[in-house]
Amino acid sequence: MLLTLIRRELLDNLMTFRFAAAVFITLLLVVANTVVLLKDYEQRLTAYNTATQESHQRLRGQETYSYYIGKLVAHRAPNPLSIFNFGLDKRVGNKITVYHAFVPTIWDAEKHGADNPFLNLFTSIDIALVFQGILSLFALIFAYDALAGEREQGTLRLVLTHPIRRGDILFAKYISAMLCLLVPLLISLLLSIVLLTTSTTIFLSTNDFLRIGGIVLTSLLYVLLFYLIGLCISAMTRRTSTALMLCMFVWGFLVLVYPNMILTAVETTPQPEAYISDHQQIKQMWEEWESARKQFLRNDPVLGPLSRNGEGWGLKLKGVEYSFGPREDKPSILLYFYQTGFHAGKIGAESEPQVPLVQDYHGFYSRGTLNTVNRTWLVRKPALAAIYIQPANLGRTLLKFSPVGLYDAATEAWAGTDLAGIQDFFSAVQRYRRAVLDHFDDEKIFESRQWFAADHGTADWDALPQFSFQRSDIITNAKRALPDLFLLLLINLMLFTIIFLIFVRSEV
Amino acid sequence: MIWHIAKRELYDNLNNLRFVLAIMLLIGLMITNAIVYLREHPTRVQQYRSSATESLEVLKARTDLYDIALNGPGDLYKQPAPLRFCADGGESFLSEFVDGGYWMWGYGDGFRDFWLLNYPASNPNLLNIRPDVTKVDWVFVVGYVLSLLALLFTFDSVSGERERGTLRLMLANSISRHTVLFGKFLGALISLCIPTVIAILINVLVISTSSAVHLSSEAWERLGIIIVIALVYTCLFLALGLLVSTRTQRSSVSLVVLLLAWVIFVIFVPSTLASIASGLSSPISFDELQKRQNQLHRELWDAYRDRTSGDETLRRTQGRSEYIIEQQEQQERSRREHLNQQITQVQQARSVTRVSPTAILQHSLEAFAGTGFTRHLQFLENTQRYAREYREFVENTDRSDPESPHLIGVPEGMSKKPVSPEAIPKFEDTFSLGKDFNTAAIDLLLLTLFVMVLLSAAYLAFVRVEV
Repeated sequence: MLLTLIRRELLDNLMTFRFAAAVFITLLLVVANTVVLLKDYEQRLTAYNTATQESHQRLRGQETYSYYIGKLVAHRAPNPLSIFNFGLDKRVGNKITVYHAFVPTIWDAEKHGADNPFLNLFTSIDIALVFQGILSLFALIFAYDALAGEREQGTLRLVLTHPIRRGDILFAKYISAMLCLLVPLLISLLLSIVLLTTSTTIFLSTNDFLRIGGIVLTSLLYVLLFYLIGLCISAMTRRTSTALMLCMFVWGFLVLVYPNMILTAVETTPQPEAYISDHQQIKQMWEEWESARKQFLRNDPVLGPLSRNGEGWGLKLKGVEYSFGPREDKPSILLYFYQTGFHAGKIGAESEPQVPLVQDYHGFYSRGTLNTVNRTWLVRKPALAAIYIQPANLGRTLLKFSPVGLYDAATEAWAGTDLAGIQDFFSAVQRYRRAVLDHFDDEKIFESRQWFAADHGTADWDALPQFSFQRSDIITNAKRALPDLFLLLLINLMLFTIIFLIFVRSEV
Repeated sequence: MIWHIAKRELYDNLNNLRFVLAIMLLIGLMITNAIVYLREHPTRVQQYRSSATESLEVLKARTDLYDIALNGPGDLYKQPAPLRFCADGGESFLSEFVDGGYWMWGYGDGFRDFWLLNYPASNPNLLNIRPDVTKVDWVFVVGYVLSLLALLFTFDSVSGERERGTLRLMLANSISRHTVLFGKFLGALISLCIPTVIAILINVLVISTSSAVHLSSEAWERLGIIIVIALVYTCLFLALGLLVSTRTQRSSVSLVVLLLAWVIFVIFVPSTLASIASGLSSPISFDELQKRQNQLHRELWDAYRDRTSGDETLRRTQGRSEYIIEQQEQQERSRREHLNQQITQVQQARSVTRVSPTAILQHSLEAFAGTGFTRHLQFLENTQRYAREYREFVENTDRSDPESPHLIGVPEGMSKKPVSPEAIPKFEDTFSLGKDFNTAAIDLLLLTLFVMVLLSAAYLAFVRVEV
C-alpha cells in the first residue's frame, strides 16, 4: 500500500512544471558556477605554485641564517573541495612567515599577492550556496500544496476512505519528495564532478569522493527539512494560496533575512579596548628583554663598543655588509617583536678574535628571544581567541537557528574549509616552526658563524626540515560535520512528528 | 475607474496575510540597519578625523623645503559617507587611505628617493574568520527583499482572478483592459509602498534623532533621489509580476516562473557574471609589479650611476637631482598604470552585470550614497590631483627663492628658506552630487527603460489574452 502511495506521489510530482523548472535551474546554475569556480581554483593553484617556487629560491639566495625572516615561508594550497563551499579557504591568508620571533597564527598570514583586491567587491557563489538557496525554495514549492491542495481538491478525503493510515500518507509524501529533490541534486552534482575530472589540475582522491558524499547527505537532509517546513504549513492551512504565501515568507526569512540580519547585528570590528592592555603587556615583555639585551652588550667590554652600547642594529665588525632590525607592531592582532642582526660576507682579519664572543652573544640573544616569545604567546593566544574566535563562534551559533547556518557549517566541515580545517594548517605551521627551531638547536645554528657571516661556509638550507601539510582525514571531517548533521536529522524527525500530530487530529 | 480598481486591489491586499508579514519584515530589517549604522558610523567619523588631523600635524611640523619634498604629505584619508546605511558598497574592501609618503630606496649621505603615492589594498578578510555576511543596507532591503515582496504581491493578481473567475466578471462590465491592468499595478504599488514607507520613515527617524549623526540638507536630497530609484526598481518587479501573471494560466506556475527569474537576476547574475567578466582581463599581480619596479629602478640607476657620484660637486648634484625626479615620475607612473589595470578589470565586470536590475540598483544607490567603487575612484582622483598640487607647490616655492640653485631632489640644491605651515596645500576629500549624477544617469535610464518595456509587455499580453 505504501508503495502505491509513493508511486502516486512520485508520478504526481515528476509530471509537474515545477519539477522540470527545478532540474533545469539547478543544472544551469551549478554548471555555470562550476566553470567559474574551476577557473578560479586553477588560478589560485597557479598562484600557489609560483609563490612556493619563488620563496624556495629566495631562501636559497640567502647566505647567512639570521635574516631568514620573510624568506622561510609556508604556503597554503587551495583546497579543491572549496568549490563546494569556500568557507574560509579563499579568505584568510595563505602565506605565512616562519620565524623564531613569533608564533604563526591565522592572523599573521598574508596573501601571496596574486589577485586584484577590488574583485572582493563582487560576492562569489559556491555550489553549497546554490543548493542552499535554490533547492530549499523548490522543496517549499513542492510541499506547499501537498496537503492543503489535496484538501481543496477533495482527493484527500477520497484517499482516506481507504483503509490507509495517515502516517503512511505523510511518509509516502516524504519519501517521494526526497526522491524528487534528489534528482536535481544528484544530476547537477554529477555534472559538476564530470567537469572537475576533465580538469587536469584537480585530483580528487577516494576520500574526497566520500567527503562529497557527506555533502550530498547534508544537502539532502537540509532540503528535506525545508520540505517538512512546507508540509507543516500545508497541514496547518486551509487554502493553498495562504500556504504558498507563508512558505515564501518563511523561505525569505530563514534564507535571506535572518542570517544577514543576525550577523550584521552582532558583527563588530574589535575595538581598541579589547586588545590594548594585552598588547601593552606583550610590548612590555619585549621591551624588558630588549633592555636586558642592551645591558648585556653594554656590560661586555668587547661587544659594548662594537654595538654602540647596544643601540646599533648590528655589530661593527670588519666586513659587515648590512645590518637590519625587523620590527613588527600590529596592536589589533597583538603581534609585536623586534630583532636585530647583521650580515657579513667576509669577516676582516682584525675582527677575527671577536667572532667567538659574537657567536656566544647570538646564542644568548636567540635563547632570550625564544623565551620572550613563549612568554608573550601565553598572553597572545587567549587574547586572540577572545577577540577573534569567540565572536566568530558566537556568530556561527546564532546562525544555526536557521537551517541555513547548520547546512553551511556542515558542508564547510566536510569540505575542510571551516575554521577547524584552516586551523589544522596553522597548527602544522606551528609544528613546523618547532621542528625548524629544534634543527637550529641541534645544529647549534644560533651560535654558528653562518648565522651572520658567509666566509666559513654558507647557510645550508637543504638540511632544514621540509614543510608539508596534509588535509585532515575523512574521519576528522566527519567528526566535525556530525553534530550539525545530527541536528538537521533531529529537526527533521521533530518536524515529522509535529506534522503527524497535526495531520492526525485535523479534520479532512 | 482606474482608482476604483486600484482601491479594490489595495483593500484586498491590506486584509491579506502578506501585507502584515511584509510590514514586519521590512520594519525589522530597517531597524537593524539603523541600529548598526548608529553603532558604527560615529566611530568611523571619529577615526577619520583623528587620523586626518594626525597626518596634518605631521605635515605642519615641517618647515624645511627639502624635508617637505622628500617625505610627502603623509597618509591621505577618505571621508566616510554619512549615507552609508543606504549602500554599504563593500567599503570595507576599499582602502580608507592613500599612502602619500611611500618611498623605496635610499643611497646614503642625504641622497634618497622622493615620496610616491602608494595605493594600499584593503583586505579585512585576512583577519575575518566570521561567517560570510551580506550587509543589511538599503540595497539589500530594496534589492533582495522588496523585489521578492513585489513578486509575491503581483504573482496572482491576474492569474488568481482568472482561476477564481472574477476576472471574467470584471471584464463583463464596461472597463477597458488597460484600466484594469494599470489599476492593478497602482494598487499593488500603493500597498507595497505603505510598508516600505513606514519602514523607511522609522529607519530615518531613528537615525536622525540620534545626536551622533548629522545629515546635511544635501544628504536629504540624496536620500530623496535614492527613494525614487528604489521606487522605480520596485515598479520593475511589479511589472514583471503582472506580465508573468497575465501569461500563465495558474498562479502557482506564475510564482514558480517568477521565482526562477528572481533567483537568476537578483542573486546569480550579479556575482556569476561578474566572475566570468573579470576573467576577461588579467592585470599583473602585485608581486609582478614589484619585480617590474625593481627592474626599472635598476635600469635607471645604471644609466645615472656615473653622474650621481664623483668629486665634481655641481655635476654630481645636477645628476642626482635629475635622477630623483625621473625616478619619482617613473615609479609613480608604473604604480598608477597597475592601479588603472585593476580598475579597468572591475569596471568591465561591473558593466556586464548591468544585465541585472539589482546590480543597476546597487550601482546607482552607491553613487548617490557616496560609497562603493565609483566613489573610491573619485577619492583616488582627488589624491592624484592633490599630489600634483603638492609637487607644484614645492617647485614654485623653490623657484621663488633667488638664492636656491633650483636643483630639486637633493638637499644642497633646494631653497633653505623656512616654509610657513599655512602655505603647504592641505588635502581635503570632497565628493559632489553633480558628478555622482552623471555616473548614475545611465543606470537610471536603463532601469526606467526596463520598467517601460515590462509594463508595455504586460499591457500587450493582457489586451490579447483570453479570459
